[in-house]
Amino acid sequence: MANKWEVFVMDLAELAEGKELELTIRTLNDGLHKYTYQRAKVEVSSKLDQFADSLQVRLGRGQLSDRKFSIRVIERVERLPERYR
Amino acid sequence: MGKISAPRNNREFVEACVKSGDAVRIKQEVDWDNEAGAIVRRCCELGEAAPFMESIKDYPGFSYFGAPLSTYRRMAIALGMDPASTLPQIGAEYLKRTNSEPIAPVIVDRRDAPCKENILLGDDVDLCKLPVPLVHDGDGGRYVGTWHGVITKHPVRGDVNWGMYRQMMWDGRTMSGAVFPFSDLGKTLTDYYLPRGEGCPFATAIGLSPLAAMAACAPSPIPEPELCGMLSGEAVRLVKCETNDLEVPADAEIIIEGMILPDYKVEEGPFGEYTGYRTSPRDFRVTFRVDAITYRNNATMTISNMGVPQDEGQLLRSFSLGLELEKLLKSQGIPVTGVYMHPRSTHHMMIVGVKPTYAGIAMQIAQLAFGSKLGPWFHMVMVVDDQTDIFNWDEVYHAFCTRCNPERGIHVFKNTTGTALYPHATPHDRKYSIGSQVLFDCLWPVDWDKTNDVPTLVSFKNVYPKNIQEKVLNSWADYGFRGAKK
Repeated sequence: MANKWEVFVMDLAELAEGKELELTIRTLNDGLHKYTYQRAKVEVSSKLDQFADSLQVRLGRGQLSDRKFSIRVIERVERLPERYR
Repeated sequence: MGKISAPRNNREFVEACVKSGDAVRIKQEVDWDNEAGAIVRRCCELGEAAPFMESIKDYPGFSYFGAPLSTYRRMAIALGMDPASTLPQIGAEYLKRTNSEPIAPVIVDRRDAPCKENILLGDDVDLCKLPVPLVHDGDGGRYVGTWHGVITKHPVRGDVNWGMYRQMMWDGRTMSGAVFPFSDLGKTLTDYYLPRGEGCPFATAIGLSPLAAMAACAPSPIPEPELCGMLSGEAVRLVKCETNDLEVPADAEIIIEGMILPDYKVEEGPFGEYTGYRTSPRDFRVTFRVDAITYRNNATMTISNMGVPQDEGQLLRSFSLGLELEKLLKSQGIPVTGVYMHPRSTHHMMIVGVKPTYAGIAMQIAQLAFGSKLGPWFHMVMVVDDQTDIFNWDEVYHAFCTRCNPERGIHVFKNTTGTALYPHATPHDRKYSIGSQVLFDCLWPVDWDKTNDVPTLVSFKNVYPKNIQEKVLNSWADYGFRGAKK
């Protein structure tokens, strides 16, 4: 099943296509964990059928952008130091 | 001081509000995802009864209590007063109680602490097991703490702090929050924990008694557990945490325990705030790692939905900032007749009434106000004379527009301390808590001749002889006018 994700950016230029990005994204999938975050290496595309998952974008003060993307989550990035896990 | 019969916990407060018509029970299921927030927001904007939402989607057994103290009626109920009490009456009662002897808290056994009825530790810890609401659409996350207390302790001085620092759920074990560097917790972090690279134990208490929440929100120099005792007239019941040495209100609905990390930050915000805007940028902020969650059976989560007036952040903060400044000014011997912050100023404008008995008195007031611990929370001080009713905005506005000399009455203070939430501040100033403040001196200068230089106020009450006023008032209906005489 395709996943729905959301990202906050100050500028849409942060979502460069054709390269690997590291973003903080949150899940929009329904359920108890909706809106929780993770850090991940991803690839995004403005072609909505490029990747299975979808990405919605919000700007600096929470405004919903009308630009939509598809997204591939390559891998999760754990930044939390081991000693705190 | 006579016996105070204030609600001792959130449940008694809800019941008292329902009984007086100041809260409504909502039986139908409410979605935690935006719907609950929208209900609370609309209640705030309409000055409605507080919503007690008894059925939350996905979270059987939990409930929400929104807008707990967003009206003066509910503030009066919280203090055990008649809901119809006037603002000056509520203020006088607050001053009386907070000038009384401190009442130390008592420690109770965990078996007598309702907040220990359910305990989640280790792998069971997951904030998503709590009905954390998405308060406003577009917020940076679901906010765990909107009406709560973040409890910490200075490890050397031993000062206990209950502060209301907003907290966002980042993931099931992590929260991030806005902790300003000039706040009590901000100072403790920068003074002790951050330089040493040590984690700071914390506990977040949600669903506090209304007076505990009032204490957490008040900028008083009195430690909050004692202040809460003074407000309620009895000792606060505290119980030790499961995973650290902090003590938390035993009757709170939900307790979240953990550690503030000294060297790791995650993003927080944006969030709709008391200014009526989403102002502060999304940024990497103070990060709270959660080690334990404890909660009462059928726990109630309290929600404040901040935005345009009026919510409890504006109402209670205005109330307590004004009264704490009044105490400060009186402690310095300044002949103030009252201090009032209108909640609709989103606690940005302090109105001070004073007997203008010497030159420079307005400047002295402003310097004390802006230079105190209270100062970063407001950026305007307006000083009016003792003939102006500080609670009557029409009178204050008239005084401001007519007596404040544009050249000599407006004094700007530059490079002071501000908050990241000021909508008028530049992005740079918000990021570094740089502020600017202004005094509006609406007093007649003391070196003006009172007979020939000071203008005469032309009003019904001021220019007509008493006997004429009485005759006109008594004949008002006979003249053919409607309405009661005043």
